[in-house]
Amino acid sequence: MTTTAPVGPSGTVDRTAPLIEFRGVEKTYSNGFQAVTPFDLDVARGEIVSLVGPSGCGKTTIIRMAAGLSKATSGEIVRRTDELAYVFQDPTLLAWRSVRSNVELVAKLKGVPKEQRRRAAAAAIQTVGLGAFEKALPRQLSGGMKMRASLARAITGAPELMMMDEPFAALDEFTRENMQKELLRLWRTNDFSAMFITHSIPEAVALGHRIVVMSAKPGRIDRVIDSPSPPTKDDAPRDTEALAETARTISVLLQEA
Amino acid sequence: MAITTANRPEATQLEATPVRPRRAKRPSFVRTSVLPAVGAAIIVIALWQAVVSVFGMPTYLLPSPLDFVQAVGSEAGNLVQPSLVTMQEAYLGFALAAVVGFLAALLMARWNLVERGMYPYLVLLQTIPIIAVAPLFVVWFGSGIATNVLVSAMIAVFPVAANTLQGLKSTDRNLVQLYRMAGAPERVQLFSLRVPAALPQILTGLRIASGSSVIGAIVGEFVAGIGGGAGGLGYVITLDATQLRTPELFAAVIAASLVSLIIFGVVALIEGQLLKRWHESALPTEE
Repeated sequence: MTTTAPVGPSGTVDRTAPLIEFRGVEKTYSNGFQAVTPFDLDVARGEIVSLVGPSGCGKTTIIRMAAGLSKATSGEIVRRTDELAYVFQDPTLLAWRSVRSNVELVAKLKGVPKEQRRRAAAAAIQTVGLGAFEKALPRQLSGGMKMRASLARAITGAPELMMMDEPFAALDEFTRENMQKELLRLWRTNDFSAMFITHSIPEAVALGHRIVVMSAKPGRIDRVIDSPSPPTKDDAPRDTEALAETARTISVLLQEA
Repeated sequence: MAITTANRPEATQLEATPVRPRRAKRPSFVRTSVLPAVGAAIIVIALWQAVVSVFGMPTYLLPSPLDFVQAVGSEAGNLVQPSLVTMQEAYLGFALAAVVGFLAALLMARWNLVERGMYPYLVLLQTIPIIAVAPLFVVWFGSGIATNVLVSAMIAVFPVAANTLQGLKSTDRNLVQLYRMAGAPERVQLFSLRVPAALPQILTGLRIASGSSVIGAIVGEFVAGIGGGAGGLGYVITLDATQLRTPELFAAVIAASLVSLIIFGVVALIEGQLLKRWHESALPTEE
């Protein structure tokens, strides 16, 4: 499916035709625990939405519902694409398969012809800088390299919507910053939207066009903040002062929640 | 990075001599594995000889190590045929247990209802003393190899089924979700994800079963053992015990251990080959 470029070079987002819409979505588990109270949000094509909040605020439940891994108790989720990718907190690689085989996995399961998925996987592996490690097994890679392999697997299917559940949480600070840059680079070259869950306020601000600040018990949206200096397709310099100010605002909001 | 050492003339000499990285010395297999085992054997044999000498034990009660070695020498030829019989029974029993245990675990992992219906009986099978069931098998299948194979399989099936089931049910939840999101059918999930992920547990089950299968075959032979020169080690052990030929009995026990060791070694070898590239349990250790 081809898409127009709804995110302009300046970072402006066209929200007239969202890729996914949450309308009054609620989730209550069978034990009575209310994970998410009415949740309303749109994610536009090409937009990265960061979700930040304390543990138990329903962030993972929301993207699991969006991915079809869990059903909403009430409300409606309208998803205008089936081209999804899910990136977990752990790299989630098959230990007995090589990097190339892992990267090809989802495309293979979806029935993509061998030649086509080989080409796509090779391109994705090159994109994330693992060209020299195609034949390596996961145990031979560092934590950051494993996460890159996981990202390569996600982009191999040319997804339109990426669900990312704290993908960099287990990495050290240095690798984490590199992976954030890597993700934005991939976003510039691959036209996808993303819902990015994180516990890190700086990470949420660095990556998101919008930052959804959530609070717990029950899980709900506290505030949706537009980034004052969002990521752009042309990698324009960003206003770090304004971003730092946004991070401070979110920090205060989370402390008050 | 160059280090300026202008005020330390002796450093010039140091820089001129390149420091070669010292090659890490790998502890030899003989030092780490063979020597401790041989040492322990020497201690046990010395204690054994001491007990026989100090207490003046009669040979029929406890033969000395020398009596034992002599018996092994004289009986070795006679033990080959019984060993082959026991080996055949145990290996057939092991193969049967491996197939039945694996298939049962697959069914139980696939359908909860099957697990709820089948697992309690598998546990029950494990709790029944095998020596009590063996006579029943003789009644049903007669006195012969078939009975011994079944007794062997019966004792070996539980470790295979239980370990395989445990492995199949322990697959990383995120990986299962990844397969589901990609629309992979249950059959693909099972053979492309769950079975390879469970391989370490499956092989552990097989390793345990390999030893059990030999025990099962010998127990079967105790009860249903075939005479007339076609009996296995269980039959030889029973015969030696009744005739108080204790050194020969010891030799037969050693032969039974060898039969176990062979099958255990083969399974361990296969395990190492299958897991050596990716699983922690089969990776070389660094000391």
